[in-house]
Amino acid sequence: MIGILKSMATTMKHALDGSTFTVEYPETAPDVSPRFRGVHKFSQERCIWCRQCENVCPNDTIQIVMDDKRNGEQYNLHIGQCIYCRLCEEVCPVDAILLTQNFEFTGDTKNDLVYNKEQLKAVPWYKDIDPLESREPDRGAWIGDGEGEVDYQ
Amino acid sequence: MSTEIEPRPQDVDVTEDELEALIGDRAIGRDDHLNAPGFVINPDDVQDVLFDLRDEAGFDHLSCLTAQQYQDRYESIYHLKKYVDPTQEVSIVVPTTLDQPVSQSAEPVFRTADWHEREAFDLVGIDYEGHPDPRRILLPETWQGHPLSNDYDQTKPQLVTLSEHENPIQPDHVDSESDTMFLNVGPHHPATHGVLHIKAVLDGETVLDVDPDVGYLHRCEEQMCQQGTYRHQIMPYPDRWDYVSSGLLNEWAYARTAEDLADIEVPEYAQVIRTMGAELCRIASHMLALGTFALDVYGDFTAVFQYAFRDREVVQDILEDLTGQRLMFNYFRLGGVAWDLPEPREEFIAQTRDFLDELPAKVDEYNDLITSNEIFQIRCVDTGILEPEVAKEYGCTGPVARGSGVDIDLRRDDPYGYYENLEWDVVTEDGCDNYSRVLVRMQEVEESAKIIEQCLDLLEEWPEDEREVQANVPRTLKPDADTEVYRAVEGAKGELGIYIRSDGTDKPGRFKIRSPCFHNLSALEQMVQGEYIPDLIASLGSLDIVLGEVDR
Amino acid sequence: MSRGETAESLQIAGPLQVGEPLLPERISDITGLGEFGVAGELTAAFLAAFLVGNLMLAMTGVAGPWAKRKITAAFTDRIAVNRAGPAGLFIIVADAVRLLSKENIIPEDADRPAYDLAPIVVASSAMLGFAVIPMGSGVQLADPEVGLVFVFAVAGIASLGLVMAGYASANKYSMLGGLRAVAQNVAYEIPLVVTGMSVVIFAGSLQMSTIVDAQTQTLLDLGIVSIPAWYALVNPFAFVLFLVANFAEVGRNPFDTPEAPTEIVAGYQTEYSSVYFVLIYLGEFLHIFLGGAIIATIFLGGPAGPGPEQLGIVWFLIKIWGVFMLTQWLRSAVPRVRIDQLIEIGWKGLLVLSFANLVLTAVIVGLIA
Repeated sequence: MIGILKSMATTMKHALDGSTFTVEYPETAPDVSPRFRGVHKFSQERCIWCRQCENVCPNDTIQIVMDDKRNGEQYNLHIGQCIYCRLCEEVCPVDAILLTQNFEFTGDTKNDLVYNKEQLKAVPWYKDIDPLESREPDRGAWIGDGEGEVDYQ
Repeated sequence: MSTEIEPRPQDVDVTEDELEALIGDRAIGRDDHLNAPGFVINPDDVQDVLFDLRDEAGFDHLSCLTAQQYQDRYESIYHLKKYVDPTQEVSIVVPTTLDQPVSQSAEPVFRTADWHEREAFDLVGIDYEGHPDPRRILLPETWQGHPLSNDYDQTKPQLVTLSEHENPIQPDHVDSESDTMFLNVGPHHPATHGVLHIKAVLDGETVLDVDPDVGYLHRCEEQMCQQGTYRHQIMPYPDRWDYVSSGLLNEWAYARTAEDLADIEVPEYAQVIRTMGAELCRIASHMLALGTFALDVYGDFTAVFQYAFRDREVVQDILEDLTGQRLMFNYFRLGGVAWDLPEPREEFIAQTRDFLDELPAKVDEYNDLITSNEIFQIRCVDTGILEPEVAKEYGCTGPVARGSGVDIDLRRDDPYGYYENLEWDVVTEDGCDNYSRVLVRMQEVEESAKIIEQCLDLLEEWPEDEREVQANVPRTLKPDADTEVYRAVEGAKGELGIYIRSDGTDKPGRFKIRSPCFHNLSALEQMVQGEYIPDLIASLGSLDIVLGEVDR
Repeated sequence: MSRGETAESLQIAGPLQVGEPLLPERISDITGLGEFGVAGELTAAFLAAFLVGNLMLAMTGVAGPWAKRKITAAFTDRIAVNRAGPAGLFIIVADAVRLLSKENIIPEDADRPAYDLAPIVVASSAMLGFAVIPMGSGVQLADPEVGLVFVFAVAGIASLGLVMAGYASANKYSMLGGLRAVAQNVAYEIPLVVTGMSVVIFAGSLQMSTIVDAQTQTLLDLGIVSIPAWYALVNPFAFVLFLVANFAEVGRNPFDTPEAPTEIVAGYQTEYSSVYFVLIYLGEFLHIFLGGAIIATIFLGGPAGPGPEQLGIVWFLIKIWGVFMLTQWLRSAVPRVRIDQLIEIGWKGLLVLSFANLVLTAVIVGLIA
């Protein structure tokens, strides 16, 4: 009996202290850590078309098509397949790929989540995120010293 | 009377020569693995040899059975261990011909071989002679072919229909004379922790027999790993086996196996981070186990579940800061981890310490709320009994085995990482019931907290110029062809083992996962016979299975 | 309709009308319906029953979709509904529209008339009980001499509805739930009634108004505060017994075995959807409130409370909601007992204790008298 009363007292304590651990999303945006791996961001200016990201991707999220002179023609991203492993970012020698902190993007069908490099310039999901800014505390761990100004569309 | 007691066979260390002598002529060859000596035997000698190894040499734990197909033969490998000392291992390799893949069943020796062999039959296509229940286990009954065999046509569509002979409205008593009722618990049921289907035979409210039907969440994880490169592409997948929050523990299983295979040294600093991360995962996983078990017993999404979730959330925030994701961490790399602790370090360490400081108060709260509640006690004490001998027979490991008083913990018995150098205890309880399993998990949370505490101390004081998080590992790994290794770590649910055979390329030739949940679940039938339906649900909850890991 | 008639006929049958006029009579006085003879009286009775019925339905309407969520959320440190309207109150409307616009799926093998009748039986049996509850401020539909027995009797009809639902759904989970429900109700009805009888020994009457009146006396006078002779204070043992038996009777935690979501999916209501589900759901909440009303009436002084007498109904509703909150509190903290343990507690524990309580009360009352 004492045990039951103790249980009841415990829950009542929680009921009365009025604190909640859930938040009102989306009004209260959840904190995302600097290392968080959200949706993929690709910089055409920096890309040297080495295809390492395409090779390392575990499930063919990235597809690159090159012409016979080995110039990049297409960079297609099937973001619906992405498992956010960050391997592409890890292998990229020129920091042309970053996984941003944005996790809020949707599509009505899975086809909505396929983007080519032109569409990637104007995708809605980047919002105003500056990936470098958001990861400032950890910048050293993430971004090597690339050449020139880093430009992430 | 003589006070000298004959030592049990499992307490005696067996040397390789003794093994050779024990197996004698029945060994037709040797096929040593990196982790254990391997003996090749004839398909007809399986039971004979395994009986001898179990009774004479004390190998009482059939850890894993790997089946695979080579160009010229099928092969079943029985990975044997001892519960008292899992570092003593031996592999029994049983080759069978391509046109007649029939091998003797090991089920009479080890009960756990039942599900092992069903899986081997299902995926690879080896027939086990004398198996009591030779059905498919992961794939639907009507599946054609064996997906992991070499001649399987993966492009051929499978029509998975209901069995032709099955009449959906036939009377479903076990036999028409009895008064029993057949009840499908699941695959859509509020308490099956995913998509599990339990075929239960009831007499009133009493459970007479259960037959877990798994495989609804089979995602070809083994095959996916066989198609990924060692260096990069496999590591994201272990997170998805036991997906509830023990990602780092699973990653460690792969990391440990692959590092042994490719002979990679891991820097000590990285080992400390790994140890800390893994224990954080264990806390998160045990919190969830506690919450869902309470859910099963309490009956609603009530306070305990929410409190457990709330506390798990704190761990997940820490893990997110450390790894960058909340569940699918992909944080370990061969030869270390992806990153050092997040900057500023002090903040991260302080945040983790805060969590550890608050933990005792939370554990007290759980004790007030759950374990000291009399109704909870009458519900859990002496229900779902799993005797230690039965637990061993069914290959149970982890908190399930420890709740039955089987003192096994690979972190201590087969040390890896940094566990050896830390102060902590293995928790066991002798109750063998649902209540003990809850107690074990709750105490393990406290032990994990101890480990994390010590890791934090180490990390804090680690000299700045020696913080090496990754060894220098070549970009492409190609281990020597036909190197075989089986390694296990203590996952959140028990012994999570991985067998890899390299074939000389940068991808594994065979990748086999030994899932702890799979074998813990197989013991369910022993736990619930004669119990009531509510105890069936509670026992299932106390096993803490994750269907992603059961079905792989 | 049946409600109105019952109230009417019982009112006529009850010759020992004392004190205040009942609600139907007041309505006929105020509206002047009384001048139209029996037809007028009947209309007044209908109106009164309509008022009380809607009051109760409104309460369950608030309780089910909104209050329950809010209370559970408070216990589990969450926020719960707060988007639709102030404090999320409009979720009631949203829920109603959602549930009523769903397709009513009826299993092919369902035993049709029984399957359709069960929700109605469950909901209406609880509504009937409110006919004789004195809610204060003159709100009482009928006050028969056998009021307490009437309440127990109509509340007991619910088990018929549950077993009908369980049997007619042609579902094994429903069947198990229905059987559990009937086993549980049989086991707990007896202690419930027997404990209720100990109150009758005190009050010397089965009539609800008399029981309430008997509790207006003063038990202890402490100067400024005088403690009334509520039977919960006079005989706390009986009060606790009655509470426990009542929770089992209405199937609330820790005795919610007939539904037992994690074990038998949803018990007898597994197959019900749409309107039928709403009816069963309403019926359950009505039963909780009816249980609360009985407890309030026979143990907590009915509508008694500080302030003017017109506030009676407010106090009465507060007491009912108090009992409802208690069910939710228990839900947050107490595990469900197993079915065999439940039956054991009922037959071996509560039954014995309730008879002991009855005998003891009888002896004490006899000695004092």
